[in-house]
Amino acid sequence: MKGDISLSCRDIERYLGREEERVHALRGVSLNVEAGSLHAVVGPSGCGKSTLLYILGLLDEPDAGSVQIGSTAISHLLDEELARRRNELIGFIFQFHFLMEDFTAQENVMIPMRRLGQMNEDEMRDRAAALLKAVDLGSKLNRQSRHLSGGEQQRVAIARALANDPQVILADEPTGNLDTGNSQRAFELLANIVRERAKALLLVTHNRFIADACDWVHEMKDGRIIASHPHGERISV
Amino acid sequence: MTAPLYIALRFATHRKRALFLSLVGVVFGVGIFICTQAQTQGFAQFFIDSTIGSNGALTLRARFQPRYEGMIVSAKKTGGVTARRNYFEGIANVSEIMRVSRQFSNVIACSPVLRGSISARAGFENTTAELFGIDPPSHLRTTDLAKQIVDGKFDDFRNNTSSVIIGNRLADLLHVGPADAVQLLSPGGEYFRFDVAAITRSGVTAIDAERIYAHARVAQRLLKKPYQASMIIYKLRDPDRAPALASHFEDLFQHSAQSWQDREEGNLQIFTTLRMSVAITVSLIILLAGFGIFNVLTMSVLSKVREIAILRSMGYRRIDITAIFLWQGALIATVGSLLGCALGALMTWVVSHIPIHIRGLLYANYFLVDWDWRHYLWATILAIISVFIASYVPARRAAQLQPVDTLRGSSL
Repeated sequence: MKGDISLSCRDIERYLGREEERVHALRGVSLNVEAGSLHAVVGPSGCGKSTLLYILGLLDEPDAGSVQIGSTAISHLLDEELARRRNELIGFIFQFHFLMEDFTAQENVMIPMRRLGQMNEDEMRDRAAALLKAVDLGSKLNRQSRHLSGGEQQRVAIARALANDPQVILADEPTGNLDTGNSQRAFELLANIVRERAKALLLVTHNRFIADACDWVHEMKDGRIIASHPHGERISV
Repeated sequence: MTAPLYIALRFATHRKRALFLSLVGVVFGVGIFICTQAQTQGFAQFFIDSTIGSNGALTLRARFQPRYEGMIVSAKKTGGVTARRNYFEGIANVSEIMRVSRQFSNVIACSPVLRGSISARAGFENTTAELFGIDPPSHLRTTDLAKQIVDGKFDDFRNNTSSVIIGNRLADLLHVGPADAVQLLSPGGEYFRFDVAAITRSGVTAIDAERIYAHARVAQRLLKKPYQASMIIYKLRDPDRAPALASHFEDLFQHSAQSWQDREEGNLQIFTTLRMSVAITVSLIILLAGFGIFNVLTMSVLSKVREIAILRSMGYRRIDITAIFLWQGALIATVGSLLGCALGALMTWVVSHIPIHIRGLLYANYFLVDWDWRHYLWATILAIISVFIASYVPARRAAQLQPVDTLRGSSL
């Protein structure tokens, strides 16, 4: 363990779909993610990885169980309060980066800051520029995101996830849409930031090399975590 | 600038064609509403100004006394003695009534008039006319007669008691002009000769086709009336309050009093019906523009499903998502209303310069328009309500979208 627990969940149950099509997506999942540590969730498609990620990211509600960020229990808060916590405490990175295509790189990074509303326009611009510089995009602040390469777009997404200095970063196959070289660079960048800034990172991945580079690997199957391995004790993914 | 407003502006400006189409609907809706209201009210206002300018805002006519009908009443009647009125021709105590009337703050001026029907003859032409026996100074203060003179001079009339002023349609019928002679037939069958001092045009055909102004004493002699005045006409500071003052004057002076609203009720109803009809038609245009905006914003929501999910994942609340699309509607309503008001003013100006030849109820050579700020206010309110309703449904739909559905569909 690297530090205090930033994110944890207990006995998460989640059903998806209705009636005949109802699927038991998560079956009593429990997990702890510490500050400054990298956790990977691996498993076959449809095993519940992304569902777990969305519940931990407060985008979806569990049917049973609890989620805690820091020392605060998040379960069963109103939608508005969940949105506020999501904005303050969580940074998301998606496989397809999900940037606003018509916005510039800098504007994309400023979107979470605008919602937080704690900085003026100049402060937000300066912070966004600093974050983009940290991901080596200092020269492309004003370029529309649709005109950036796939690797660059994912780096903008990383900078955006860090915009409000969240405790937790959740990444859903962050390198799934990148070639090997860009995957490696994006992951190293993310790992360095997480360790330097003592964030907690939980990422869902199919990439064996990335999973191997994390501090913990949680193996999922049929809605359960069937095994959790610390760095150095690897099973084949 | 709030986050939803900033994002709304960015969304709107990146869908320029859709924004333009939405704006066009609002701009034309507002513009046409203003222009049509200006036209219909222009004709109505011209009629009101003309009739008040010629006949006053309030008229005091015959004296009356309550009539008490017999003591024997039907067994079925339970109301007791029924009070009705006996009317007596002419105004009693003209000077005293006018003196008391002037004490009322709403009264600017009043003028006695002796009115009666006569026959007028000039050359071979002969017609019936309405004689207005007036006191020139007080009538000038009470009406717009001086402004309505289109040929000749009012002073020629004032200084010559054997002269008359004739309405232009009547003058056309009799083929007379200033300095010509006209003969008026008294009820006793005697013709009196008068010089035409001036021709007047009020713009209201009913007045211009029948009216002849003469000096009051001459008219009294001509009409063989025992009283000085058959009515008193009033100029009021606030003509809209004429009905209340008329009611008060009836009680006070025991003379029948009629406001211009009662006098012109039939014509005013025509104008009101016309305005309402046009307003409904144009409101439907604005409503159609609202449907257009509804479609544009619904398409916008559908095309921004991914962006909505991103915003929600970054902590934007449902209310923020609603606000983003309502702000887009507000942007369309604001810019559309401003441009629409400008277009409406321009269209109104252009229409007011279109020549037409109206010689019916009114006399006009150009489209009559009324420049009233309330038309702009109502058009803007109508546009805002229409756009708000059109924006609200797509905005609510956007807020109800589940981000997980979008994110899951894209990443798994």
